[in-house]
Amino acid sequence: MTPQTKCIKSLFSFFVFCLAFTFSYPALAQKKPTTLLNVSYDPTRELYQDFNAAFAKYWKEKTGESVTINQSHGGSSKQARAVIDGLQADVVTLALAYDIDAIAEQAKLLPPDWQKRLPHNSAPYTSTLAFLVRKNNPKKIKDWDDLIKPGVSIITPNPKTSGVARWNYLAGWGYALKNNNGDEQKAKEFITKLFKNVPVLDSGARGATTTFVERGIGDVLINWENELLLIKKLNPENYEIIVPSLSILAEPTVALIDKVVDKHHTRTVAQAYLEYLYSEEGQEIAARNFYRAHSPAIVAKYAAQFPQINLFTIDDVFGGWQKAQKIHFSDGGVFDQIYLQK
Amino acid sequence: MENKMVRIVRHLCMAGLIYFIPTPALTQSMTPSDSLLQQRLEEIDQKERILERKWELAQEDATAKSKQTAVAAAGKDGFNLKSADGNFQLKLRGYIQSDARFFGADDQDSYPNTFLMRRIRPIFEGTLDKHFDFYLMMDFGGGSATVQDAYIDFHYVPQMRLRFGKMKGPIGIERLQSGANLLFMERSLPTNLVPNRDLGIQLHGELAQGAITYAVGLFNGVVDGASADTDVEDGKDIMARLFLLPFKNNDGWLQNFGFGLARSSGIQNGTVSAPALTSYKTPAQLTAFRYRSDGTAAGTVIANGKRTRMSPQAYFYNGPFGILAEYVISEQVVKLDAANRKLGNSSWQVAASYMLTGQKLTFKGAALSNSFNPKENSWGAFELAARLSNLSVDENSFPLFADNAKSIQEINSIGVGINWYLNKNIKFSLNYEQSTFDRGAAKEADRVQEKVISSRLQLSY
Repeated sequence: MTPQTKCIKSLFSFFVFCLAFTFSYPALAQKKPTTLLNVSYDPTRELYQDFNAAFAKYWKEKTGESVTINQSHGGSSKQARAVIDGLQADVVTLALAYDIDAIAEQAKLLPPDWQKRLPHNSAPYTSTLAFLVRKNNPKKIKDWDDLIKPGVSIITPNPKTSGVARWNYLAGWGYALKNNNGDEQKAKEFITKLFKNVPVLDSGARGATTTFVERGIGDVLINWENELLLIKKLNPENYEIIVPSLSILAEPTVALIDKVVDKHHTRTVAQAYLEYLYSEEGQEIAARNFYRAHSPAIVAKYAAQFPQINLFTIDDVFGGWQKAQKIHFSDGGVFDQIYLQK
Repeated sequence: MENKMVRIVRHLCMAGLIYFIPTPALTQSMTPSDSLLQQRLEEIDQKERILERKWELAQEDATAKSKQTAVAAAGKDGFNLKSADGNFQLKLRGYIQSDARFFGADDQDSYPNTFLMRRIRPIFEGTLDKHFDFYLMMDFGGGSATVQDAYIDFHYVPQMRLRFGKMKGPIGIERLQSGANLLFMERSLPTNLVPNRDLGIQLHGELAQGAITYAVGLFNGVVDGASADTDVEDGKDIMARLFLLPFKNNDGWLQNFGFGLARSSGIQNGTVSAPALTSYKTPAQLTAFRYRSDGTAAGTVIANGKRTRMSPQAYFYNGPFGILAEYVISEQVVKLDAANRKLGNSSWQVAASYMLTGQKLTFKGAALSNSFNPKENSWGAFELAARLSNLSVDENSFPLFADNAKSIQEINSIGVGINWYLNKNIKFSLNYEQSTFDRGAAKEADRVQEKVISSRLQLSY
């Protein structure tokens, strides 16, 4: 073997070694910490900041595994649209079941019966709608009827993009139906008058809060009870919460996005994340953030925080979300008719 | 702008109302008409706030929509169409090189002076559905149309890309530089011994934040320095290259020091009509060496077995200075009639460059910032270049496999050049290269020295 050949062989051996290292490199790379993406609706920022920290601690203690939960917030329907269009949500925690139905139906990312997979129809906490008025209630607003008076300016988001806006709309409709012996036409007239008093349509609940609180627009804000309690907590002197005589039981729902968790290999931790919402700690975090819990112990502990309200359910009055969506919020539906008239 | 307008209107309204409020009204208790005025003022304030908020929401909506809108861009980096999510993209690029070559000390007119369009290359590249890149480069230079590159890159993880199609073989370091980013107008002598474009499949990628670059592939196996679109026999070449930049992720002066090794191996068998052997060219692109070939089995040398290439290579760039070096040895078993022999040809080069105007140099060229604009005393960027190179043909080639009277045995070349970058898109080059030859002329004489002055105006985008 000539010196030149030896040199070539040595160089080639080195090269083969380097190539072997190259291919084994990905396997040698350190395992990345697990990351979840929770795609949620507008006013849950504070709730999930608290909850995510608690869950990460719980999971680390239970499994030794670090988990980071990223949050995304926006109008509930806009968020559902983003997931349908490819946003890689491991879990969704949206304002209403219909938005998750849309993900199941249009993108087939989870089964149609997703709501049966967790207790309480996959709604780990509930809420309702109420009114927020400025100090001393200058327009003397006490109930739904006061909202349709001339000169009252109402802030509520756009039902085409926002979950709470649809709850607001349906709560008002339900109230009008009850007060008019179930007359749908009268209810429609009521809602038409109500939306005539809405000067700005934000895309989500938090945007509506900004309009009312920071921009100083409007006489009354209709929003999630939890959102109003938070505003009141931060500005106790400037606002008053008005509880209407009748409102709707709002059930924000949560779900695992099967195809995404399987792709990310995060099913176990994502499932545990959602189940932890039903734990005593999860329920207390919800109540601390002004959501109504299911746990009897937590309900009792936070009873003073939540006023008694007469509530009806969407199934009672509208026959469920699918039907309500089709009649009121689909393109060309009742909302389009009344808002385009405006 | 409109927001400002709204504020101005608001302030004007306020000023107008205040002007019309009688002064006592501001100091005494309010009368019913004052109360009405107060109410009117509040209404106007609300209307103005609503207008502002609607404007804000419209802006938010426009921003959100812009994120969902495809982007069309044109600039010094070319023309680009991109979907909002970046998963679909089309880039239009290209370059044109207009050359002039003039030979000195050529009393016998051995070398033709000429103007030529060396390269005319439109490039279409892009991404489909995030994981599939494509690259298509045509060349209309020299009056012919050729597909230089046409490949698809599949990539799912950043560390690995699988390429199918026609591409550069991963052997010569200078060959891997784009034709638009060369230091000299023509690549140096070692490029004679490495594949140009070949068809095949290649796994390649970068690891450790780019500190390790690798490529390994199976190719048809083109002859030295050549491109081909088909193979005429079953033998294939395996090619591999590993290049390390050990200090790439540090900030020190060795950050752009890299070294590597490339190797190819395969069985290539030629025929009289397709000998699977090559010719070698001078720096002025004139043929200096070729194997014997007269169209008969007894007079045509053909490839007949194993071919290997190996190329250690390195570069170092620091600030305005850069140096690149490579060595290539190409061995091939050849046959002439009943005679078989393994021949090894080798070549090397060392090329250095310096940006007189101080710009940072990298393997991909100079980082240009200033453009030619004499009115602002900006003249672009200037780069000095020098290189030494050598090509040695195996002495056992002569006289049986090659004719000493027509083919050289060795080339030694020295070149200097200057590049003037008028801006990122326009470059003017002036090169002088002098090559001396061992043999290559009748009566065991040496081929006439080649002295060539070349210039190039290059447009790239």
